[in-house]
Amino acid sequence: MVEWTEQQPPEDRYGVLDSDGSLDGDPPDLDDGELLGLYRTFIATRQLEDKMLNMQRSGEASLVARSRGEEATPLGAAAALAPDDWVFYTYRQNSALLHWDYPMAEIIAGTMGFAPETVAEHLDADADPDVNFAPDYTPIGVNVTNGVGSAMADKFTDRDTVTMVFTGDGSTSEGSFHDGMNFAGVFEPPAVIVCQNNQWAISEPSQRQTGAETFAQKAEAYGVPHERVDGNDVFAVYETASEAVERARSGDGPTFIECVTYRMAEHNTSDNPDVYRDDEEQREMWEERDPVERFETYLRDEGVLDDETKGDLEDEVDEQVSAAVDAARDIPDSEPGQMFDHNLHGESWASQHQRAELARELDGKNPFTDFTGEGFDEQ
Amino acid sequence: MSSNSSEGDEDSGNSTGTYPSEELAHHDPEEADTEEIDLVTAVNDTLHQEMAREESVRVMGYDIGPLGGVYRATEGLLEEFGDERLIDTPLSENGILGTAAGMAMRGERPVAEIEFMGFFYPAFGQFMYAVVKMYERSGGDIEMPITIRLPYGGGVKALEYHQESTETYQIHTPGVRVVCPSTPYQTKGLLASAIRSQDPVAFMEPKKIYRGVEQPVPTEEYTLPLDEARLVREGEDVTVVTWGAMVRHAVAAAEDVDADVEIVDLRSLSPLDAEAVLDSVKKTGRCVVLHEARRTLGLGAEVSALVNEYALDRLKAPVKRATGFDVHFPDHDIEDDYLPDEERARFAIEAVMDYAF
Repeated sequence: MVEWTEQQPPEDRYGVLDSDGSLDGDPPDLDDGELLGLYRTFIATRQLEDKMLNMQRSGEASLVARSRGEEATPLGAAAALAPDDWVFYTYRQNSALLHWDYPMAEIIAGTMGFAPETVAEHLDADADPDVNFAPDYTPIGVNVTNGVGSAMADKFTDRDTVTMVFTGDGSTSEGSFHDGMNFAGVFEPPAVIVCQNNQWAISEPSQRQTGAETFAQKAEAYGVPHERVDGNDVFAVYETASEAVERARSGDGPTFIECVTYRMAEHNTSDNPDVYRDDEEQREMWEERDPVERFETYLRDEGVLDDETKGDLEDEVDEQVSAAVDAARDIPDSEPGQMFDHNLHGESWASQHQRAELARELDGKNPFTDFTGEGFDEQ
Repeated sequence: MSSNSSEGDEDSGNSTGTYPSEELAHHDPEEADTEEIDLVTAVNDTLHQEMAREESVRVMGYDIGPLGGVYRATEGLLEEFGDERLIDTPLSENGILGTAAGMAMRGERPVAEIEFMGFFYPAFGQFMYAVVKMYERSGGDIEMPITIRLPYGGGVKALEYHQESTETYQIHTPGVRVVCPSTPYQTKGLLASAIRSQDPVAFMEPKKIYRGVEQPVPTEEYTLPLDEARLVREGEDVTVVTWGAMVRHAVAAAEDVDADVEIVDLRSLSPLDAEAVLDSVKKTGRCVVLHEARRTLGLGAEVSALVNEYALDRLKAPVKRATGFDVHFPDHDIEDDYLPDEERARFAIEAVMDYAF
């Protein structure tokens, strides 16, 4: 069996928390409530993703991508934003969503394959997150360009909103990544582009994405300021992202942040990493740097967290996940004709005719009996 | 790349003749102030008008700033509106559409210029993944009011990829309107509608007839429907379905054949005004589709299929397609042999007139 040999990324990256949870720098200025909030989001993300994995295994969810081991990157980065900012994300940023109160049931419903109209109709419409999330992107790199366009709109209209874009190491090989970075360098909009470098793009290791030493270097060619941080260190990510957000908000343009982390699990539930990666040593090394355990150790050392608080938080999250699963399960299937609803505003001859054809088919009638173009008018 | 993008020869532009005066039917010719302008000036006037009318309209593309566009379609806009409304971008079609999409998501109304339709291919990623998809994938929450200006078409003796008519790629895509004017009057009304539309619109501009023929066009604002075909002339014997730069060849052929020809200018290539096509063909019993795009899976194939599915028993002859060939757009010396013209249109009309079941 041919497998990739993994390469250890260069160590020159910013860190605050050591892998054992001790401080290696100055912690950010967060109060106990905020620290516990971050911790709660960590465990909520893990419990949610574990639950969705179970749902996939039992056939309820179609495809689940987990962020196990790399939750600190989206969490620390998103925590640097303020209400009304914008986030353009992909599929491994659940911790960012949960930090800003994105409805958990909506995340679950997405993996169950419900149309957004149906989800919106059957979930609490008031449960809006505090920052704006564009719909999650499946095609990679696309959101970088769109996010930069969003930031350009803010700049041109003199709004002080910041747009944060999440992308991966594999995405940096796509044209849209480079197009977006280039526009960011030229127009200097308030954009923070976070590269969640988890070393793997499905089966392709990071050394297959670039000949450059680091991903952060890619920003150099576009004139975009860049940073490189320990992506498993929520403090390091938060501090770096906070500076970038502040810079963007004060009109000093974009920043690219490479967060070095590791994809502990599979790409998604349709993937089997055992086929292509020999990861025992790497996995053990990254497990030692687990972002949640590291942060928990720090909180306990600081006296912010104890067994009782942890137990209470876990129970609370348990209830939240259960309620979200129930709500997602309560969503009925979409009405099939809905597929015609949001292609264009208004109706065309073709959309009316094809809608009628589908309705006839669903009725068990033959949809092909119109030979004049007027046959379905009376329906 | 842009050095060879001149308007080319304008000889057959001049052969367009005068535009039918009934086009101004929406406007009282005694009352309306009009100005004699050509098609590219109509584009320029409309961009001025829409940018002045609505602050969220931002015109994006390259070569559109100090140069005013390789066709001068954006002349004067930078001076009047500044570089945050008229955005001269890096040379990147995918970047233009991708950032336009992001701006549209945030309440702007971008008008993106792709310098030539043959330069659209790098933009397909953002076109498919973001521009045409966002409205549907957000369940109607996020609208994409983007107009993509696409100068298209051959006959201008330009380089490769400067002459094509590849609208089929856009037409086959859900979630986008594809519109093509054929006169200055149509251009102003349709472009204004495209810019004001909440849907993405691929707006094809027949660059062969950008200049050469002028027509009185109302100076006041007006819009034309984005989903309705236009009856260019009425006839009883045969319907010619066409659009854009080919309309003039249909008109010329109609005057030169021994048949009473009805001409339908589609204007909206997607969604198609199927009723206008079917009504006309059911009346005349014969149909010719005239387009300069390649024949296979060109819009003519769709029109022919539509007529076959819904008007077969009214047909007196099979539908014929007078089109470009299924080849790369040829070099200058033989491009006129590739392009459909009045003669090819006339032959097709005569063939279906002579046919007997």
